[in-house]
Amino acid sequence: MSRSPFASVLASLTRQRGVRASLVVDENDGIVIDSNLQIGQDGDRVAALAASLYRKARLSAAAAHLGNATFMQLEAERGRICAAGHNDLVLVVVADPAANIGMIRVEMIKAAGGLP
Amino acid sequence: MSITAVEPWVELPLRKFVEEARTVLGLLLHPSGQVVAQFGFARAIDVMSACALAAAIHASAGELGKQLDGKAFRGLHHPGRDRQLYLAEAATPRGTFIFLTVFDQESSLGLVRLYFDEFCKSLAAAAPPAPRHAEPVLEDRFEHELNRNLAALFGRG
Repeated sequence: MSRSPFASVLASLTRQRGVRASLVVDENDGIVIDSNLQIGQDGDRVAALAASLYRKARLSAAAAHLGNATFMQLEAERGRICAAGHNDLVLVVVADPAANIGMIRVEMIKAAGGLP
Repeated sequence: MSITAVEPWVELPLRKFVEEARTVLGLLLHPSGQVVAQFGFARAIDVMSACALAAAIHASAGELGKQLDGKAFRGLHHPGRDRQLYLAEAATPRGTFIFLTVFDQESSLGLVRLYFDEFCKSLAAAAPPAPRHAEPVLEDRFEHELNRNLAALFGRG
């Protein structure tokens, strides 16, 4: 079986401490292209909602003349959702509250830059 | 968004779907083409055409699926330039319905599929049991029932 072109990107994100799920999502469709999920994570649901959120954040940044959105972070009671996009793809990470968000952010921006 | 339903138990699940999935048009119909509920349509004639086309597409896709895959295709997505269409089956204790929805850039296929799954669950939960002696829609009554349902949806007798 051939490896997805996103496998190494997802593996590098999942290696970060506290990362529960990492996904590559089509920004327009909100459909999962590839993912690395821990048990209990609903990839389709997270992908659809996070891609929609990222898209709206990107459009908001553009509407406010802030340029391209590079990174989005949502903090919730029991964790965080981070998203970084490139062209029509969005990298989404679901992480624990205790995760090193600085490292995750660096990895995500680096990885997003390498997306096709 | 104005939602009208011939069968009142459909209205709440449909309203929730519309609010969450942010789609612009929707139709719930029997596989025969009889309309059950609609939102976003302004004219009865458009509902009638959309129902006839949706029923035909569903029947064709079902047969195509059986020939290709051994079982009927249950969902169909068609992306247009500005708008997209999603057509799928919703199974309930009251029987199987066809759901057609149209969405634009305010929504996405992922969101529509996500909320459609929830819509199916809440529709199935809200559906009263099927009548014991459900009569099939016969050709001679079809037009009468279609007109009755359209009148109920658009307030014209």
